[in-house]
Amino acid sequence: MESLSLLLDGFATALTPVNLLYALVGVTLGTLVGVLPGIGPAMTVALLLPITFNVPPASAFIMFAGIYYGGMYGGSTTSILLNTPGESSSMITALEGNKMAKRGRAAQALATAAIGSFVAGTIATGLLVVAAPLVVDFAISFGPEDYFALAILAFTAVSSVLSTSAVRGLASLGFGLVIGLIGIDQQTGQARLTLGVPQLLDGIDVVIVAVGLFAVGEVLYVASRLRHSSPDVVPVGRAFLGRSDWARSWRPWLRGTALGFPFGALPGGGAEIPTFLSYSVEKRLARGEASEEFGKGAIEGVAGPEAANNASAAGTLVPLLTLGLPTSATAAILLAAFQQYGLQPGPQLFDHNPALVWGMIASLFVGNAMLLVLNLPLAPLWARVLHIPRPYLYAGIVLFAALGVYALNASAVDLVVLFVLGLLGYAMRRFGLPVAPAVIGLILGPMAEIQLRRALAIGAGDVSVLVRSPVAATLLVLSALVLLLPVLRRFRNRPAPAAD
Amino acid sequence: MSDTIPPRDRHWYRRGELVLAGVVLALGAFVIAGTADVTAAASTLGLGPRFFPIIVGSAMLLIGVFYAIDVLRGGRGDPEQSEDVDSETPADLRSVLLVSVIFLAFAFTLDFLGWIIAGALLFFGLSVTLGARQPLRAGLIAVVLSVATYLAFVKGLGVTLPGGLLAGVI
Repeated sequence: MESLSLLLDGFATALTPVNLLYALVGVTLGTLVGVLPGIGPAMTVALLLPITFNVPPASAFIMFAGIYYGGMYGGSTTSILLNTPGESSSMITALEGNKMAKRGRAAQALATAAIGSFVAGTIATGLLVVAAPLVVDFAISFGPEDYFALAILAFTAVSSVLSTSAVRGLASLGFGLVIGLIGIDQQTGQARLTLGVPQLLDGIDVVIVAVGLFAVGEVLYVASRLRHSSPDVVPVGRAFLGRSDWARSWRPWLRGTALGFPFGALPGGGAEIPTFLSYSVEKRLARGEASEEFGKGAIEGVAGPEAANNASAAGTLVPLLTLGLPTSATAAILLAAFQQYGLQPGPQLFDHNPALVWGMIASLFVGNAMLLVLNLPLAPLWARVLHIPRPYLYAGIVLFAALGVYALNASAVDLVVLFVLGLLGYAMRRFGLPVAPAVIGLILGPMAEIQLRRALAIGAGDVSVLVRSPVAATLLVLSALVLLLPVLRRFRNRPAPAAD
Repeated sequence: MSDTIPPRDRHWYRRGELVLAGVVLALGAFVIAGTADVTAAASTLGLGPRFFPIIVGSAMLLIGVFYAIDVLRGGRGDPEQSEDVDSETPADLRSVLLVSVIFLAFAFTLDFLGWIIAGALLFFGLSVTLGARQPLRAGLIAVVLSVATYLAFVKGLGVTLPGGLLAGVI
């Protein structure tokens, strides 16, 4: 019950007026960027990093957590109300949600998404409170070889799961690893891959990479294929649920939570797989009226996936906080934020900074409650945000991207680097390379290198030290399996060679 | 999957993917060659600063080869889906080029012109390129935005932005 008293202390941190304000700013900003196409929580947190340097860490992380959760809520509004297919994690919600909206049930779709997100977020954050100390106890004895193996598993899982083709995911990962190599080697002080440019000695800042790949890359991509019609938004009033909708929603919420949390915590699990699984589970379990409605706007098909989506966000925080292991792009940026404050997530963080960690976890409960209030009555307001003409939206995204990057070092060189990374982001989108592995490779790569060298130094050059601990051996075997999985799958589906 | 790209785009598309695979290969070679001159004192315990780059570089070479083979055998990545992207239309590379030129012009003139003027020009140029139909309105929004961000971030949050030509005025 020690964690319960720590959590209560955390609430004392989270409920101070200043931190409540930071939480409110975070969830509002998060919902806004979640609703708006073209930007997401990862880029928003990255852009805020240079500005929040003077904010106390506990307050900054309360705000970042709010942005993370808020982004999840906002994304569902877009996929329900906007008549165009969107990103993969919210596409499942759009399947039924958008059809509900077209049938005049937008208010119910938004309400079941918001309340389901609240229920799932609250339960999953509770699970985080229970699970985190257990993982910390287990991980406290981890050696460098275990951390190295963990990083390898994160690399392979995120590369092969997030992409339909493992080799494209790995190529993306490689881009991130190479960018992460640039600069001075932390252990020997040697400059690597700087091409003699003095500005590169400190490496390329995570903010520039994230903003370049996400924002500038996205704008260039959108510029190449912009829909020239004005956005087609379904009109909506205040979100609410009728009695029968409650009855049809609560079981999907709980099932979605049960699927979302564990998948979020797994490397490479992310939000896509659990939302998809939740959708197919609800479809299979549907009886009577619901079963007929599937495909035409069944509320179960919104309630389940949305709950899974939010629960996976809380799940992602388990490996991030307890092991320092990011399993999604947003988590990787959060890890970079910790590093900016000189903090290293992992078992020690819980010992050294309990006020920060538990304050952040407590703020997740607070932020979830705020989001419910923000999203039910204010749904029409968020719907209006969707009408922003796209030329202004994307021009504004570039303006803020340039602002955030220039604010780092007041250097125009950074803006050119930003543009080059934007071109890379454009090419990756156009040719189907997922962006998340690059961000994870960039941030986790240098840590993997340090742990590898530390492990091999302990083993005095003997490579077998990497598999001596059972944990490390298991993780490496899993990594190999994750990589081989797509190959095996293709082998089984042989009779269908590429038609074109 | 295959119906998202018009046929006449296909040949070009495959070439683009091969170029990307080439970039992966080139980066792998660059990492290995570029760290050749990096040496550590012999007294360094364990592995030197070249060890990890060699692993990454070799992995990139391997990935690049597999990527190229995959493309040549007909494999293809799915272009990303997004709310504002119409995957039915062929890529409009003219817009991409214009956006690039405007952004680079902004990067090179920012210190001279200052945030307010350069930022307003950036916003105006991009919004017109991306299809804003009323230039007057776009210009107005551009000025309001760049002035507002300057005041909010410089006066409010203490962020350093260049004053440029207007340095004495605001």
